[in-house]
Amino acid sequence: MVDLTPYIILGLAFGGVYSLSGVGTVVLFRATAVLHFASGAVGATGALVAWTLIEQRGTPDIVGYLAAIGVGTAITLGYGLLLGPKFAQRDALEKAIGTLGLLLILLGGMSVLWGNDARTLNLPTARLSIQLGSATVNGTQIAAIALALVVTIATTLFLQLTRLGTAMRGMADSREVTAMLGVPVRRVEATAWLFSGVLASITGILMTGLVGLDIASLTFLIIPVLAAAVMGRLRSLWITFGAGLVIGVMQSSLIAFDSVAEYRNITPFVLAIVMLLWLAWRRPLMTRV
Amino acid sequence: MTLHRVPQPDVTARPSWHGITRRHVVTGVLGAAVLLSPPAWTDDYWLQTLTATAIYAAVALSVSLLLGRVGMVSLCQFALLAVGTWIALRIGYATGMPFLVVLVSAGVLTGLLGILLGLPALRLNGLYLALITLMAAAGVTVVLAATQFPNGGSGVLGFSATAVGSTSRLARPGYASSDSAYYAVVVVIVALLFLLVGAHVVSKPGRAWAAIRQSESTAVAAGVSVVLYKLWAFALAAFITGVAGGLLAASGGGVTTYQFPTENNILLLAAVLMGGVYGMWGSIVAAVFVKVVPAVLQLWGISSDILLIAFGIGVIQTMLLSPRGVSAQIAGDLTRLAGRLKRSNKV
Repeated sequence: MVDLTPYIILGLAFGGVYSLSGVGTVVLFRATAVLHFASGAVGATGALVAWTLIEQRGTPDIVGYLAAIGVGTAITLGYGLLLGPKFAQRDALEKAIGTLGLLLILLGGMSVLWGNDARTLNLPTARLSIQLGSATVNGTQIAAIALALVVTIATTLFLQLTRLGTAMRGMADSREVTAMLGVPVRRVEATAWLFSGVLASITGILMTGLVGLDIASLTFLIIPVLAAAVMGRLRSLWITFGAGLVIGVMQSSLIAFDSVAEYRNITPFVLAIVMLLWLAWRRPLMTRV
Repeated sequence: MTLHRVPQPDVTARPSWHGITRRHVVTGVLGAAVLLSPPAWTDDYWLQTLTATAIYAAVALSVSLLLGRVGMVSLCQFALLAVGTWIALRIGYATGMPFLVVLVSAGVLTGLLGILLGLPALRLNGLYLALITLMAAAGVTVVLAATQFPNGGSGVLGFSATAVGSTSRLARPGYASSDSAYYAVVVVIVALLFLLVGAHVVSKPGRAWAAIRQSESTAVAAGVSVVLYKLWAFALAAFITGVAGGLLAASGGGVTTYQFPTENNILLLAAVLMGGVYGMWGSIVAAVFVKVVPAVLQLWGISSDILLIAFGIGVIQTMLLSPRGVSAQIAGDLTRLAGRLKRSNKV
């Protein structure tokens, strides 16, 4: 029997990143009905900013990472404030296609400004390492798992306990009714975009630490993330969190089995397709808008 | 998807083949002459680019058929193109049947897969259909990276990593072994595909699709079989894509799996939306965006990454301001220009 511990730990770390980004996606979708395809690209842009500052200019790490989060958040918030209202009355598909536009702009912009070489960025957390049975765990992996858990708990509490959270939950049900009740919907939406931007940037940095800085792979990280969000039916934070971890662990454990190792990256897509089919047959009201 | 501010076509109007006039015939002959002329005046670089453009026009047509005619978004047509290419290569290497037979078989088999893919579309709409097709496309990319394209190896997959110098390339028929002859073959076949779609649009399926796009429940009430016509649309779109895949398999210097990244599915949708989904010209414009424009930029020494930015802005602009796309915009501008010229002549 193969010892799966190292693969499971690696998988949990990737899963943590999927969960983190997935939670951001779900919160934004619930508040604004926008499925944000560009969050991977936002994360990649932030990571490139951090790379330029830290590796090229020699600025202190913390400044670089804060700048990355700042840039990522600014892009996301800017899109939300500028185009969010224009897309507000459109259906969910058109809103999503709008963010596909943002994805292409960012992808092109990154290639023009930085070129398509693969880069590495050593996160300070990578220096930390713990021996756990047969596996070595580094700080970035721990950070990914811990952050996903903390963010999921904090977001759940935020949505349940604060006025803003209640407003967001209201908007998930009906934007019009919530607006009529006197909730400043634009401001609530802006908060959701802000939250999504921060999470996207952090995800980008963490993913850079785990697999390196490659523009295309960071940008299209969104596809497995969407798979996790879909498994949470684009509603449940905890199922999204769990789905992210399950996807990560399954994907990573399959490396150990030669016959299917080549096909391991198909895991999130198969799971998402199964979930969508289940939704289609059991929850037709949700999927036939 | 119902795009805003689009004048919906009149479902009750029944276009038909009887309306073909002499003008149509003349336009057709002139069009054919223009399309078939490039081998006389271009070099190999442009000939290959134009061949690719014609093939992509067919793929774009399949996307716009689903989106513009039936209102279903498919983010996996580009992945289906890869599947069509794979099937054509597999059949080609295994049997050595005539080129056209291989093309049609690839189209039919891909069409059957299209029906399978269309099944979820009976229950999923809008965003959810987009998501499931995107997931399927991503899955195809992963599988393809593992299986590779057949290159004459043995076994089910027909790929041999050790085969020396064997690229995955479908054998061209004897009458089209040169690039210029092959270009002509591709243009004729793609034109036939456009005619096939045109024939559907002006007859019963086209009217059924228009009814489904307007409102599914009304279509059902009017006695349109939503199941049949949705699956029909998916099958037709996949057939076109499969044939295009076969054409691609025999073009240029062979195909590799790197040519089919998942993101190209997104890019294709963007190009089709910009070109315009409500008419067949849009598909040609989309193919020009994806193939000709980058080739021009390359000649000028400009990175085609700029194009991605333009695509992104174009998609957002299309969604917000001109849902009928560039082709309709140009047509409208030309009409206005003609009107203005007429008026200025009178003065």
